[in-house]
Amino acid sequence: MTIMQNAGRLAAAVLLILTAMLTADARVWAQGKSLTLSMLAGYKEDVLRASLPEFERKTGIKVVVDAAPFGDLYKKQLLSLSTGGGRYDVLFMDEPWIPPLSEFLLPLNERMKTLDLADFIPTTVAAGAFQGTQYAVPVDPNVQILVYRKDLFDQKGLKPPATWDELLAAAKAFHDPAKEKYGIAVTASSDIQTALYMLLAMWSYGAELVDATGRGSLNSAAGRKGGEVFLELLKFAPPNVRSYNFADVNKAIQLGHAVMAIQWASGARPMEDKTRSSVAGKLGYALVPRAVRQTPMRGVWTIAIAKSSANQDAAWQFATWLSGKEFGQAAVKYPSATSAIHSPRVSVLRDAGTRAFLPYADTLLDSLQITKERPRLREYADIQENLRVTAGKLTAGELTLDAALKEIDAGTNRILGK
Amino acid sequence: MAVGGAGRWFLLPGLVFLFAIDLIPLLYSGWISFYDWWLIRPRDVRFVGLANYARLGVDPEFARAVVVTTLFTAGAVLVEFLVGLALALLFAQPFRFLRPIRVLLLLPLFVVPVVGATMWRVIFHPEVGVLNYYLAAVGLGRPPWLSDPTLALVSITLVDAWRTIPFMFLVMYAGLEVLPAELFEAAAVDGASAWQSFRHITVPLLTYIMLLAVLIRGMDAFREFDIIFVLTGGGPGTATQTIQILNYRAFGLGHMGQANAIGMVTLVLVAIMCFVLMRAILRPRGPRA
Amino acid sequence: MRPTRLRATLTGLALLPILAWTLFPIYWITTASFKTELALYAKPPRWLFEPILDNYARVLTNIPFFQYLKNSLVIAVGTTLGSLVLGTLAGYGFARFHFRASEAVRFLVLVTRMAPRMVLVVPYYLMMQRLGLLDTYTGLLVAYVSFALPFSIWLLIGFFVDVPLDVEEAAMIDGCSPLGVLVRIVIPIAAPGLVVAAIFAFLVSWNEFLFALILSGVEAKTLPVVIAGLNTDAGPLYGEMSAAAVMVMLPNIVMTLVLQRYLVKGLTLGAVKG
Repeated sequence: MTIMQNAGRLAAAVLLILTAMLTADARVWAQGKSLTLSMLAGYKEDVLRASLPEFERKTGIKVVVDAAPFGDLYKKQLLSLSTGGGRYDVLFMDEPWIPPLSEFLLPLNERMKTLDLADFIPTTVAAGAFQGTQYAVPVDPNVQILVYRKDLFDQKGLKPPATWDELLAAAKAFHDPAKEKYGIAVTASSDIQTALYMLLAMWSYGAELVDATGRGSLNSAAGRKGGEVFLELLKFAPPNVRSYNFADVNKAIQLGHAVMAIQWASGARPMEDKTRSSVAGKLGYALVPRAVRQTPMRGVWTIAIAKSSANQDAAWQFATWLSGKEFGQAAVKYPSATSAIHSPRVSVLRDAGTRAFLPYADTLLDSLQITKERPRLREYADIQENLRVTAGKLTAGELTLDAALKEIDAGTNRILGK
Repeated sequence: MAVGGAGRWFLLPGLVFLFAIDLIPLLYSGWISFYDWWLIRPRDVRFVGLANYARLGVDPEFARAVVVTTLFTAGAVLVEFLVGLALALLFAQPFRFLRPIRVLLLLPLFVVPVVGATMWRVIFHPEVGVLNYYLAAVGLGRPPWLSDPTLALVSITLVDAWRTIPFMFLVMYAGLEVLPAELFEAAAVDGASAWQSFRHITVPLLTYIMLLAVLIRGMDAFREFDIIFVLTGGGPGTATQTIQILNYRAFGLGHMGQANAIGMVTLVLVAIMCFVLMRAILRPRGPRA
Repeated sequence: MRPTRLRATLTGLALLPILAWTLFPIYWITTASFKTELALYAKPPRWLFEPILDNYARVLTNIPFFQYLKNSLVIAVGTTLGSLVLGTLAGYGFARFHFRASEAVRFLVLVTRMAPRMVLVVPYYLMMQRLGLLDTYTGLLVAYVSFALPFSIWLLIGFFVDVPLDVEEAAMIDGCSPLGVLVRIVIPIAAPGLVVAAIFAFLVSWNEFLFALILSGVEAKTLPVVIAGLNTDAGPLYGEMSAAAVMVMLPNIVMTLVLQRYLVKGLTLGAVKG
């Protein structure tokens, strides 16, 4: 084959590619109403996609799903909303993002009145509000719970721990490294979960990340006690807890290494999946331990509408449907082995059928009644980032507890301009 | 020069494209670095001059990140270059069984970095990972690959090397293949040994390719992000926190001025590294006769 | 330096540990795609097991995988062609046409690769937004060619410079135009260099994540974004991720098998003798 023939083939290929590109590049011109949704990729997207055809059939509204991975969703939403591109009509957002993004979102106070709010768990609705204005409707509430090996506890005739002291005692009692059994699984890496565990402990003893005057207040007797308890807990954790992240906590339970874990409810379902867990069916669920108070951390996924959206009524219809009973029930029952979308509705969570799919439904509901939220501030992402890095340095031994507490507060104050 | 004035027509399309699509955005990004631009307050953009840079200059975390990044880059490039070169030389021999193995060696390049790093995390897992299982079986214990500060650095270097050695191999192998066989044959006729051939024919002719490989790899390793982020997230503590991880954090929080300032500092550091290496490449060399 | 059986054996032995290290994670990922997550962590590690196809089924049914595959393919092939064409022209220009600012311009070409890619995200986003190229093939193509071009140019300069001048001059005396010399004489001799540049450009595009994430979302969404999405907020879905990764690897393997024929000597000899 000569060069000229090769060149000829190459030119033909180029032409073919260009043509394919140009024809494939045709965008979907919306006929009738169309909404673009910024969604979280993964199993939540699967659940949504499964139910979308039903929504489109009922309302005639087409929903285009732009899914991004968890680590990057905030960035994408922030970039799009901030540069005013009008790319998204509706956004699936985690509650800590609402304060910073609020100025780009449509206030929903009036529209909320059309919902049957009595069926919603009150704290989940509060998750969508900021400074008195409602910006988002709850769709998927999440909360920290305590997971424990009911079979092992029953063997020893023990009840699940209710206080942090009891938790430490139980972890110590079950800790048996020789047999590869560890008291409790948490994270102690520079992952965000580490900071949230530490915060949970500190909250329980009465400390606050940001006090009423807007200053960092973790460096207090309560904060120190919480920090000490958390560090003490690490002694009864798997040896490499300092490299653990969310998935590793799950692994520790699922493979039968850890007897207890504090985990988000969203991580509980894989623990009950026989193809991923060797302890499916052996687990019990309880509220997180308390000290001075009981403060399970809340994290609610919500649906918000962009102010710049040209389809606000259609968007509201979508939000109503997504937080509705029908979708909630379908979502809970969706055969996803990895996790569920937990409905924010009492009726769905109390339903007998739900319990078959979510063995932890009661714990979830009880926890959601008494949750504590993270500070509702525009600057919270920065504060949390500082908390994360400092907690990571603490567990890695780069800082003492006192130095860490000082650094957290110093960072908070600097970020809030105090 | 064989081509004379027609040469500029060869250069124009590529250069115009690059300068329009690459340099201008880069200049824009540099310009942003002189502002305080927080994405959540798009109407509150203020000119702050060198304030972003000043903050980096006094930040001990940034200084540490520079050290970590330099250590990682040096270690990774060294390992990758040596192993890649060794492989290229091994494969330059005319054995037929080597042909199919070539593609096998390239496989790590085809794995999406995030997946590769995730799987290495599974392999490195201290309790249930395959690696430690066999290490423990031969009595070497279970090293905490990702939770010990020093080992974590080693781990990210290992995974980066796993991923990039095929690339170094590919570049240098291609370079070796273009060397005309007659040169080696003539040398053999003159009685030169394998080592002499290597030293006096291969090395000088391959220098450009070798230095280019090191240069490109160095630039990429310095800016490496995906593998480190997935494997250790910058931890334990700040043991593997590179400049890019700091950049990612600033960017993720919407602090555009700060993020771009970090980017510009990276650019300067990499440029210095390039300049030093390039003095060797751009030694005046015309085409061989 | 006749190849002996001893040398062959030694070479093989030297290669074994490298091959093992290189291939083991690939093997692990491939087997993970056929395993349940529980089987993945079995102790002792299982090298033989009963494969399941659930992971593949889930990946292929839950998302429009083939559309994303098409997107990735079109964009990757386009990137390769674009970088090869522009890179070959520019590379040859730099190799044969020296002007006073030559070295400075060459350095400038590389400058764009010195800044972390992240800093280009906002400028590119704004640029594509203004041009209406968000979530289109063209937008991503433009970005990716600009990523792959600098290295392609530098690499090809090296290969073109190595081509013997007398062959080119002979062709020009015979009445060949400079472009003809490039296409008919230089490219065949420097073919291995073009192969490397092609593979490189293809991989830059195929594996790229950040800009695909930001600049696309629905229509032009590519596979790396999809795979990253399998890293959920509840941890990675190892089985599905591995299945997706294996399927993503296959086109690359095919491409390399096709291109690697040109990675060998032989073309050199042909040109010199001709």
